[in-house]
Amino acid sequence: MSSNQKILEAVDISYTFQNGFTVFDGVSLDVYESELVAIVGPSGVGKSTLLRILGGFIQPHRGEVRLLGRRITSPTPEIALIHQSIVTFPWMTALENVMLSLKPKKVPRDEAKKVARKMLEIVGLTGFEDLYPKEMSGGMRQRVAIARALAADPVVLLMDEPFSHLDELTAEGLRQEIYQILFSVNYLKAVVLVSHNLNEVIELADKIFVLNGSPARVVKLIHVDLERPRNPKDERFAEYLDMLYNFLTPVQKHVVQR
Amino acid sequence: MNPIVVITLAVLATTVRVFGLIGLSILTGWLLGYLAVKDRVFENTYVSVIEVLESVPVISFFPVVLIFFVEKIGGPVGVELAADFLVFTAVVWNIWMGIYQAFKTLPNEILEVSQNYKLGFLERMRNIYIPFSLPRISANLFPSAADGFFYITVSEVISVGTTSYSTFGIGSVLQSFTASNQLNYVFYAMLIMGVVIVGVTLGLREFANYTVSKYALDTDTPITRRGRPRLRYTVRFSALLSRSAIQRLSSYTRRQILGSIRLRRGQAEEARHVVGGRRWSLVTKLVGIVILGLLVWGITVTLISVPTKTWMHDFANTPNIVVNMAYDYLRVGIITLVSLAITVTLGYLLAVNHKAERVGVPLIQVLFAYPAPLYFPLLFAYTLPGARSVFGPLTSEFYVILLGFISTFYYVFFSFWMGVKSIPHEYWEVMRNMGMGFTQKMRYIILPGTFPYIIAGISSTINSAWGGLMLAEYWPGIYDSHTLTVRHGLMKLLDVSTAGGDLALAAWASLIFGVVVAAYSILFTRRMLDLSRKRYVVEEGIYAA
Repeated sequence: MSSNQKILEAVDISYTFQNGFTVFDGVSLDVYESELVAIVGPSGVGKSTLLRILGGFIQPHRGEVRLLGRRITSPTPEIALIHQSIVTFPWMTALENVMLSLKPKKVPRDEAKKVARKMLEIVGLTGFEDLYPKEMSGGMRQRVAIARALAADPVVLLMDEPFSHLDELTAEGLRQEIYQILFSVNYLKAVVLVSHNLNEVIELADKIFVLNGSPARVVKLIHVDLERPRNPKDERFAEYLDMLYNFLTPVQKHVVQR
Repeated sequence: MNPIVVITLAVLATTVRVFGLIGLSILTGWLLGYLAVKDRVFENTYVSVIEVLESVPVISFFPVVLIFFVEKIGGPVGVELAADFLVFTAVVWNIWMGIYQAFKTLPNEILEVSQNYKLGFLERMRNIYIPFSLPRISANLFPSAADGFFYITVSEVISVGTTSYSTFGIGSVLQSFTASNQLNYVFYAMLIMGVVIVGVTLGLREFANYTVSKYALDTDTPITRRGRPRLRYTVRFSALLSRSAIQRLSSYTRRQILGSIRLRRGQAEEARHVVGGRRWSLVTKLVGIVILGLLVWGITVTLISVPTKTWMHDFANTPNIVVNMAYDYLRVGIITLVSLAITVTLGYLLAVNHKAERVGVPLIQVLFAYPAPLYFPLLFAYTLPGARSVFGPLTSEFYVILLGFISTFYYVFFSFWMGVKSIPHEYWEVMRNMGMGFTQKMRYIILPGTFPYIIAGISSTINSAWGGLMLAEYWPGIYDSHTLTVRHGLMKLLDVSTAGGDLALAAWASLIFGVVVAAYSILFTRRMLDLSRKRYVVEEGIYAA
């Protein structure tokens, strides 16, 4: 599904925590147009930190991130982040939550309402615009957060374990819809997903960067060549799953580039 | 005796008085808090009484204190007790409420363990209740100590009519130096007091850090095993306290439900526990009834002892009291608005700038804890010519509002700062991600997200402003031959009628004031707090199953 345009690029990224622990070193990855790229790795390997570096929230100690060739040094609405802990604002309705991302752009109120309604429709929340987050389920709240991110016209969407706080049934439902939802807005060029759920990653990703070791490096890049929608009972699905397990277990203390 | 020695002893006497009374508040708080969580009737009485008395400004106790201690008991003991009582009422409510909330939110699992091991009252207190209450106590110690220092320096010298009563302490010593124009000793006294205040502030910060790291549940702060001060962590534990306060308050229902499940288990062991509980219940009901009885008795005796002529005099002055109260509410409104305006800018800047925060917050705490009555006369003397040229006929108003502001700004500032610190990091990331400007962040996220903290801070600010007004609205001989006073103001009316010996009028004005303040608290503050807890709780915006 990918084209040749490179959308997001991380070059030779290293990051060291304040206590002196280098969590990853020399990590490079690239994301092309229409790709859904996943980053996987054992706990503590720095997946969420890497995602925040890609979004400009954290500055790497070495290396740089480029969006469409431009260096990213601070957060930008062009790269929208969806959190693991689902973030909504309890004093705003679903519609107001989505409209929030249009405020910095000074979009007129009526126009903002129109866009927000459209985004809520895309994520399947038509009819729920006036509900407050506490009146919604976890899955609905995450849909609101996704609609809010999409309303900001992002070029890239970063998703940090977006389904991990949902029950399995809700997560599976949203997982099945998410690919369609994300690429139904034409300005969104690519998605980067961090997850520890290997089934989820194979179900969704076009390519997978596997991190392992200490400090972590990219130990494998896997291109997932499966038809969509993907079926976990498919034999080739299971082969990809085995391959991922092989690169992730045991957790490597010293990196061997394969 | 050498004046420097006298000053040092006076500072020590004042400090011991403040901390002795804080210690008394803690001891009584543990006992009463335990009774409250053991018996519903006592709990309802206890919490209601605290809520009402907490909302009545401490200064309105002044005439009652004078009548009871100075006139009925008299002598040095009466004056000492009057000063102590005034300070006690300034420090006690925060601490009692903090301990009660800590006891009330003790996790049920810990209680079950204590029942499992059949721990007795003293063992439970020593091993469970007291340690669990320490973080909350330490969080309340700083404002309590600052309030205590403010009021002790005011109440060490009491004038009724032509009689002046005083008790040994920095307040009374400083007044005698000022009266005899020994300015060099005034400076020495302020310097020594300053050293003590800095020591107390840093000590309380370190104590709070230690108690939170060791005794608070769900803390990410490492336990301190060696005694090196780690003040930089204070910001984190403050944020932790603010976050957990709401979480803990929200766990009331859970514990009660679990408690009822426990009682349904009809085993012999549980039955014995219930019988023991009934015994407790009788004792606590009795204590509750005795406290209520004493209150009713005190009110009745006071009312009966007032002659009809005095009642007529007081009634005739009621419209005047109301007008004066309106003036003071206007002043309090201005103080609150100015405090809020500074708070939302300075508080925000400090909360998001860690380097500035490490210096700024302790500095503000020291300035707040330094009792304004000690340095305000000098500030007045040095700034009066400049203030006159700027404010003209409103110069006195300026100083009254300034002292009100100094005595109260900290509450709303600290409350807002804690609120900003408790905003989840995900919210900050969303704000950065969207590229929101300062005004948009404030309007859509930070002000709504800190609304419960702002309301709590405003409530404390309004209650505390009265102390500053009481001092500033009528301050004869503030410096040299100057008297700082205003034309209208309830606090001035209280001051003047007390100084003139008309204690009945002062008590009547205090009563009306107390009723208005309690009504305001019930009708406005509580409703706003309820609204903020229903809708503006940032923690509810983060869904993490």
